Order: sequence, then C-alpha cells, then structure tokens
Amino acid sequence: MSDDYLWDKRGEPDPDVQRLEQILGTLRYQEKPLEFPEQIAPARSINPVFLLAIAATLLIALVAAGLWLMVRKNQMPRNQLAIAPAAHSTPKPEKEAIAPNKPKTAEPVAANNPETQRRPHFAKAKIPAKPALSPMEQQEAFAAKQQLLLALRLASEKLNEVQRRTVAPTTPMKNQHKVG
Amino acid sequence: MYELEATADIFVMSTQAKAAERSTTDDPIEVRLVRKALEGDRDGFGQLYSLYGPLVHGILLARVPRSEVDDLVQDIFLHAFKKLNTLRDWAAFGPWIAMIARNRATDFHRRSRDTVEVTEDLKGSDESTTRAAEILEIVKALPDTYRETLVLRLVEGMTGPEIATRTGLTPASVRVNLHRGMKLLKAKLGLKEGL
Repeated sequence: MSDDYLWDKRGEPDPDVQRLEQILGTLRYQEKPLEFPEQIAPARSINPVFLLAIAATLLIALVAAGLWLMVRKNQMPRNQLAIAPAAHSTPKPEKEAIAPNKPKTAEPVAANNPETQRRPHFAKAKIPAKPALSPMEQQEAFAAKQQLLLALRLASEKLNEVQRRTVAPTTPMKNQHKVG
Repeated sequence: MYELEATADIFVMSTQAKAAERSTTDDPIEVRLVRKALEGDRDGFGQLYSLYGPLVHGILLARVPRSEVDDLVQDIFLHAFKKLNTLRDWAAFGPWIAMIARNRATDFHRRSRDTVEVTEDLKGSDESTTRAAEILEIVKALPDTYRETLVLRLVEGMTGPEIATRTGLTPASVRVNLHRGMKLLKAKLGLKEGL
C-alpha cells in the first residue's frame, strides 16, 4: 500500500516516494547548538493576582485619602465659625479708638458703605488658617493622617515589588525581526 | 497594613500552589520542557529546540531561500525563548512556534522583496545536493497547503501523524495534503524529467 507508506512509512514502499526521500533527505535539518546571548531570559508574565493586589491597594489608598479629606472638611466650618465673630468684633474697638469723637449718626452710613462691608472678609483672609481643634479632634486628624501615609507607603511598596517581579532583564537581540 | 500584605501573600501562595498542582508527571513532554524553560532552565529549552528544530526548518525551507534557513531557525527559537511567557497552552508549543516560523517567512519576503537570487540557492556542494535543491524549488512552486506538508514528510522525514501532532493540523488534513501534494509533485516531475 503506497498510500500507507506516504502516510506513516508502513506497508509496501512507494519507489517514487522513496527516491524523493533519498534525494531531498540531503537537505534535512542538521542541528546546530542554539547560541543564547548572555542575559537573554524569558520575560515573566504579569500575574493577574498582582494586578488585583495593586488595584486593591490603590483603592484602599483612595478611600483613606477620601476619609482624611472628609474629616478635614468637617473641621473647616467650625474653624470659620470660631474665626468669624472675632473678625467682626475686632474692627469696632479700633474704629472707636481712632475716631472717638465721631458722631453716632455716621455708623449707619458706614454700615451701608461697601468698603466697610468687605472688611470682615478681608480680615478673615488675613487671619492665619490655624484650626482651633480640640485635643480629641487633633488626635483624630493625626490618626487619619498617619493612616493615609501608611496606605500611600504600602501602595508604593507594592508597586515597587510588582515592578521588580515583572520586569526581567532584557538584552537587545541582533537581527530581531517583528514576528507574530 | 499587615492584613493587606497578608492578603497579597495569600494570593501569591495560591498561584504558586496552582502551578505546583499542574506539575504532574503525566504532562506531555512539551509542557514539562516549557515549564523548565520558564523557570530559567536553558537545557529545557534546548530540548525543545532539538525536538522542534526539524519542524521549524521544514516550514522555513518550504518558504525562504535555503541559505537563509539556518539563521532564521536560530532567530525564531531565540525569539520564542524570549516570548515563551505569552504561550498560554504549553502543550501547543508546536503549533505556536510553527506559526512564528510562518510569520517570520512572510516577514522575510516582505523585507527582502525578492532580492535573493534563486541561483544562489541552487548551488550545492555536490551533484546530489544540486538535484535536491532543484526538486525543492519545484515543491516550493506548489500551493501553500501542500508544500509545507511535503517538505516535512520528504525532507525532514516526519510521518503524517507526527506532522499533524506538531503543527496542530488534523490528521485528515495532513493526509489529504500529502496525497494531493504528492500527486501534483509527481505530475510536475514527470513533465520535467523522470526520476
């Protein structure tokens, strides 16, 4: 069966096929040692678990940052409330000190003056933004800050770890052509 | 923080455990060799090179000038070694590297734009090699589907089932390609000269 011989070299050999095998066999592959460049190595694939870990870490860092911002935001109105009365009350004695003989009738005019209306805001802006926090609030803020810093540090460490594990040393290959 | 690190470590451990689970002795030789190569064992990849060298050589011989084949075989295996991590199914190393070889051959023709002279390819060290090169040129003139299978069978000495296993083609396809290709080759050789 010549068909079988062509298929799996069994059965009755086909003389034409045998002759072709004999002639073309001279071109058969002759193994040469594979020459690896010094530092070539298979690139390591990025494990999806690491990507998941990165995503989780970033999420935690974002949540921590959000919490910290919320805490900070909640403290802001109290500060402003604490500052505002002082801003409104302080200019009055100064005015009286500067112009003690001024008639009282002038006050409503000053109240209507847009320049004087802006003064409290101007004064508010000048006041240094040191929040008047109670010791407990200060502790909470400090704890939130520490938590945020830890989360950021952890995220940074994880990213460094992933980068170290995934990036393999590569060397440029000579005669490298684009394949695939 | 420690909880997070522990969670990440558990993830890593679970993937390592899965990899260990996969390392059974029942795996095909390709799987074991690919695993070894991915672990940095160059001998493992060297065995893959020995096993699949004839396949890549045959695929290239059917497509590019003979003088270019040896260098391209080396290039392809080095490229495969670097990109081994992209191979999802380790058992499919043969079809994967066969596809790389076919693409590289196509790329070679795109770049060289037929500047390689065929006469260089026909030059042989002796009469038998010259004759072989002449017949090879006739084989290369056959349709794509037949020439690769014929070269693997007649030049590299692989059997039909081996060709099917290593290229990922179905045995039926290989069988059909072999018989139709041989019929065409015989007809062309008969027209040219008697064997």
